[in-house]
Amino acid sequence: MPKIGVYICHCGENIAGAVNIEEVKKFAEQLPDVVVVRDYLFMCSDPGQEIIKEDIRKGLVDRVVVAACTPRTHEPIFRKACEDAGLNKYYFEMANIRDQCSWAHWHEKEKATEKAKQLIAAAVAKARLLEPLEDRYVELNKDVLVIGGGIAGIFAALDLANAGFKVYLVEKSPSIGGNMAKLDKTFPTNDCSACILTPLMVEVANHPNITLYTYSEVESVEGTVGNFKVKVRKKQTYVDWEKCTGCGACLNVCPPKARVPDEFNEGLSLRGAIYIPFPQAVPKKAVIDPDACIRCSGRWFGEEPRRTKDGKPILAPCEKVCPTGACSRDEPRDPNGEIIELNVGAIIVATGYRVMDKKHFKEFAPDSPNVITALQMERLISATGPTEGKLIVPSDIPKYLEWKRKIEKGKEAKLDVRKPKVITFVSCVGSRDERFHTYCSKVCCMYMLKQAMLLKEKYPDLDIYIFFIDVRTPGKDFDEYYMRCRKLGVKIIKGKVGGVQRLPDERLLVRGYDADLGKPVELISDIVVLATAIEPNTDLKDLARKLGINVGAEGFLRERHTKLYPVDTMTEGIFICGCAQGPKDIPDSVAQAKAAAASAMSLLAPGKMKVEPLVSEVNPEKCTGCGICAPLCPYGAIEYVEIDGKRRAKINEAICKGCGVCAAACPSKAITLHGFTYEQVLAQIRTIARKGVIEEV
Amino acid sequence: MESGVSSVINLTEVAKREKEEFGKKVSELIIEFGAENLLACMQCGACASVCPLARVGFEWYNKKLIKAILIGMKEELLDDPTPWACVACNRCTEICPRQVAPFEVMFAMRRLMVEEFAIPTLAIEGIRSLYEHGHAVYMTGREARKKVGLPEKPPTTDSDEKALQDLRTILRNTKLAELGLIPME
Repeated sequence: MPKIGVYICHCGENIAGAVNIEEVKKFAEQLPDVVVVRDYLFMCSDPGQEIIKEDIRKGLVDRVVVAACTPRTHEPIFRKACEDAGLNKYYFEMANIRDQCSWAHWHEKEKATEKAKQLIAAAVAKARLLEPLEDRYVELNKDVLVIGGGIAGIFAALDLANAGFKVYLVEKSPSIGGNMAKLDKTFPTNDCSACILTPLMVEVANHPNITLYTYSEVESVEGTVGNFKVKVRKKQTYVDWEKCTGCGACLNVCPPKARVPDEFNEGLSLRGAIYIPFPQAVPKKAVIDPDACIRCSGRWFGEEPRRTKDGKPILAPCEKVCPTGACSRDEPRDPNGEIIELNVGAIIVATGYRVMDKKHFKEFAPDSPNVITALQMERLISATGPTEGKLIVPSDIPKYLEWKRKIEKGKEAKLDVRKPKVITFVSCVGSRDERFHTYCSKVCCMYMLKQAMLLKEKYPDLDIYIFFIDVRTPGKDFDEYYMRCRKLGVKIIKGKVGGVQRLPDERLLVRGYDADLGKPVELISDIVVLATAIEPNTDLKDLARKLGINVGAEGFLRERHTKLYPVDTMTEGIFICGCAQGPKDIPDSVAQAKAAAASAMSLLAPGKMKVEPLVSEVNPEKCTGCGICAPLCPYGAIEYVEIDGKRRAKINEAICKGCGVCAAACPSKAITLHGFTYEQVLAQIRTIARKGVIEEV
Repeated sequence: MESGVSSVINLTEVAKREKEEFGKKVSELIIEFGAENLLACMQCGACASVCPLARVGFEWYNKKLIKAILIGMKEELLDDPTPWACVACNRCTEICPRQVAPFEVMFAMRRLMVEEFAIPTLAIEGIRSLYEHGHAVYMTGREARKKVGLPEKPPTTDSDEKALQDLRTILRNTKLAELGLIPME
């Protein structure tokens, strides 16, 4: 006969505030096989655990039921307490009378007490049928895949590589650097973004432990923690990277017809079909965008060239100008690129974010070239931007580029562009807005202050208005930064802009509200900067599906636990960091990246991992080899083997995650999920169906 | 609706006037007139919560006055009586978390108003009285004093010819004399 101890936790007021502990205790005492019932203020505390251990050591109990909070966070704690006291830790069962009872029925105390009784009775019914199980160990592959080469991915990769782990860093763009590479300066210290980022990018490229795959995307992911099999598609670059030296000779010869909006300059200028994303790109290699290429000389890769009358081949301009032959079109190239297969033990997802386009906001005159996003403003004031950092109204950028082309060709030209006198910033565009995103994008207040400060310091005569709903500056040195900005004379107005109207002279009429004066205000501005929301990348959902991790309602990757497991996911061995998890600034992204790297290290460093024995097993005596279970297994853990000349299912324990799908589906009840057997689960259900009365076995 | 301010504030007009007519920002003028920490204001409103003027319904109490100055308003504020009603209790200065000293802003605004000759008659009377008797608020009822056996003038500057002359010398050397608000011969 089992000797069951029931331990009821008050969880401070969390449980005791809704559940009558004394009544539940009396009820539990009369349940079959229950020999001890105790309660305590915090059962998970040291003295609380000691109560359980003491009873086990004295031989009073040999099964433990704790009625407390959620097994998600606390089951491992109590199992360990059992183990420490010398009891097999799978002789433990938990009844969740907090999350599923007291919290949910806080205002119905009698019913909550009744439900707590039934949940405890069900747990006792299962505890009577528990069986001892042994942990097992699996070998872990120690290599790590990092997806995304922005500041978060870079730090995760470097920390792992410096600790001796081999890292594969996959980036979908031709260069690493991410969004941070587009920024001019960074708050709260106003460091030049390129100055602090570029050395890190170079370090990644040269690190012996890092294999860098840029212009590549994750195609598929199979396997589980310690043994992921990942297929990565290296996209077709159409330029031989072995030969390309990044000299840039090809960039200028690409004809005007093949020019498309430049991603790096956020569309403020054009790039050729053949391009290097930005001057400090790592690796500094050119790629051809096949959608933009107009196939100069009428020839594609691998096709015979047309020839002049005297038989000389006619080459495309990029091909002709390339000093190393990297752009040669002699060889055919597979448009699908190349598939690379990687084996890794852990994966870190750091795919970053994108900012919302202004086109969604009809009220802010998005058709005006002088209404720009804040990221476009970064490019406009950056020394590597479309105007080399000269501040002009965006509607005059084409004029500026034309002037530059003429000057570069040695022609005389006069630069006739308008410099802005008034710049207006609008906060919370698409953030804190039920029509778009309910969340706060977290970085906008600070970057608006930063841009205003940089502009005001450089051009003191500029009139700068920032319209805020609230100024949110909760970071180290952030509010001091805000004050510095105010003292520069930037005009801060509490109230959101409701409308922007494009005027015939390409200036803008801004209509806002000053909540301090309680009056509507209006002004004419040369540039309006929209702090558009940070959004998850469009393909993030797709990637999450491939990885088998969760996405929250707002579209960002979901962490296992907001407070306690902020960089873990519900899938063991996959970690997340940076803006793929939610909007955050550079300091937070770096901190999370380092946390993800440390979490991956502590998982992989031992080289093997303890795995719960809560997996499924097939009884070959009962199995008919019907073939229903294998296709249902989400982990591919089931295969068919010959046993005595008969086809039988077999489950690979190392791959099985114990989800129970096969056990539920097996028509001949040949599959047992240890820890959740038919008998155990049915005993629980029957007890609840009988309102807490346990059926005799 | 508040006196002197239109229902929609045109910030472009305000900024234009600030640049073209005054040659200096209003905030710069106010800082010169003694409110050195004006720009540190973050519009929290603590000053207004303790201000007696705000409590009795004056329009441009400390917090709102500071905001109006920060966006460059001046013309609209000149005819407003609020700064002259300030009782200098200094509660605002004690409570301000940014050490703006809103009281100093109120008084700087008075100085700016005087520069612009935007002074209420009552204030001019006070100045005249100060010059003539040594008291900004001078008591009437000299007959009554005589009746109860007191000297006609109280034993202050008013009855001390030398002190009164000294005071007048001081006043003639202040900005007040330059402005010529009252005759000082």
